[in-house]
Amino acid sequence: MRVAMLTWEYPPRIVGGIARHCEGLAKALAKQGHEVHIFTLDFPGAPDYEEQGSIRIYRTRSEVGHPNFLTWVLLFNHFIEKRMADTSKLVDFDVIHVHDWLTAPAAISFKHFSKKPLVFTAHSTENGRSGLHVPDSFTIDGFEWWSTFEANKIVVTSGSMKGEVCGHFHVSDSKVEIIPNAIDTTPYDTPVDRGAVRARWGIQPHEKLVLCVGRLVPQKGIEYLLHAVPVLARRRPEAKFVIVGDGWYRDHLEYIANASGQRWRITFSGFISDWDLIALTKSADVMVVPSIYEPFGIVALEGMAAGVPVVASQIGGLTEFIEHDRTGVFVYPRNPESIAWGIDHILSNYGHAEWLVKNAREVVHKTYSWEAVARKTAKVYKDVVG
Amino acid sequence: MGLPSAPKVPEEFRVLSMMHNIGAITPERSLTADELSLWTEIDPATVKSHMQKLREGGYVEFVQISGIEKYHVTRNGIMKVLTLYS
Repeated sequence: MRVAMLTWEYPPRIVGGIARHCEGLAKALAKQGHEVHIFTLDFPGAPDYEEQGSIRIYRTRSEVGHPNFLTWVLLFNHFIEKRMADTSKLVDFDVIHVHDWLTAPAAISFKHFSKKPLVFTAHSTENGRSGLHVPDSFTIDGFEWWSTFEANKIVVTSGSMKGEVCGHFHVSDSKVEIIPNAIDTTPYDTPVDRGAVRARWGIQPHEKLVLCVGRLVPQKGIEYLLHAVPVLARRRPEAKFVIVGDGWYRDHLEYIANASGQRWRITFSGFISDWDLIALTKSADVMVVPSIYEPFGIVALEGMAAGVPVVASQIGGLTEFIEHDRTGVFVYPRNPESIAWGIDHILSNYGHAEWLVKNAREVVHKTYSWEAVARKTAKVYKDVVG
Repeated sequence: MGLPSAPKVPEEFRVLSMMHNIGAITPERSLTADELSLWTEIDPATVKSHMQKLREGGYVEFVQISGIEKYHVTRNGIMKVLTLYS
């Protein structure tokens, strides 16, 4: 099968989970004999065309920019569409697969131009991410609806997301397939010197490292974790917090951290390298995922693969792969007291935490492999190609 | 459904985002503070102060051409901007 895959982020252009998802899926599809052509945006230092086995990556530069975000989106879609039209003179694609709304205009045009079926993966919705409070959000919501309307099949990563897509966009249940996210567990098997890693992050041997990883945006709920810091510090004075990631909300989060009186316990790392993140995750005592909106929550899966006990909001996709007090610990979203309780519950019960980690690892290895995701995705392709 | 209203996006972040959207992401497409001021309708002194803060965070870099500083968004700056939209 020849797949034209569209995504606005693909490594090294990484924003959230979509780049990782597309890379994992493309590699696994290629391993199963499919030819995958990735159409994406340029990134400084990355080549505009690259071949990685049977994966071809077309990074397209938008030759015209515009200060307005939505206009910029339409402009880069135009240049991606041109690149696809040029490529289609040489490659007869069987199916088009678009991830999220940002590259949907190009994908939809190409669907009508090439008369090939379209698969749309909805990783999240504007309504869930931000709410529909401003005109731009209504426009994005409209693009998302248009994508669900034009797609021959819609893929979502969780049952919670399926409910959201079917309910909000009035899509028939039979049009939507649930294919969960996955991770490559191999990098997590590499041993790390925990003591050295912790020392590098300023964690003394007697201290406990609480890790939180995510884009610094409101839906990740990091402010509630920051409000939990003073609560936890009363019970666990040895706790220290490292928050990995960056985003437009960072100044506000740093303001909360400063106001907590516990700033010295909290490190904001900004973006760090993949390997540093894996080493840090493997060296943490507990990982917290305090999201208030989470269609899947791949970061929790990464924590589970790394062998760190996970404390997560009981919300969205997280509820579908974490089992409370068997593979992780659930806390109430938007509730600092509950988050502090969850962390303390892990830190107070070493044996229990070890048992949770063992169960969690088994679940990750058994269920969330890219090979399985690629097999299910290829079946969706077959269904729409007919 | 949705989130409660959040704090406003900081002005320097809006400038960073605008720089990204118009393509100032490489040294050859960098812009002066005066040019950025025209795009954003923010006075040049404020633009310079925003650029200083963004430089300290590693989100923009500048090149000097004929003694004039011209700014562009770094890789980390691009990733930061994209968090606004995903």
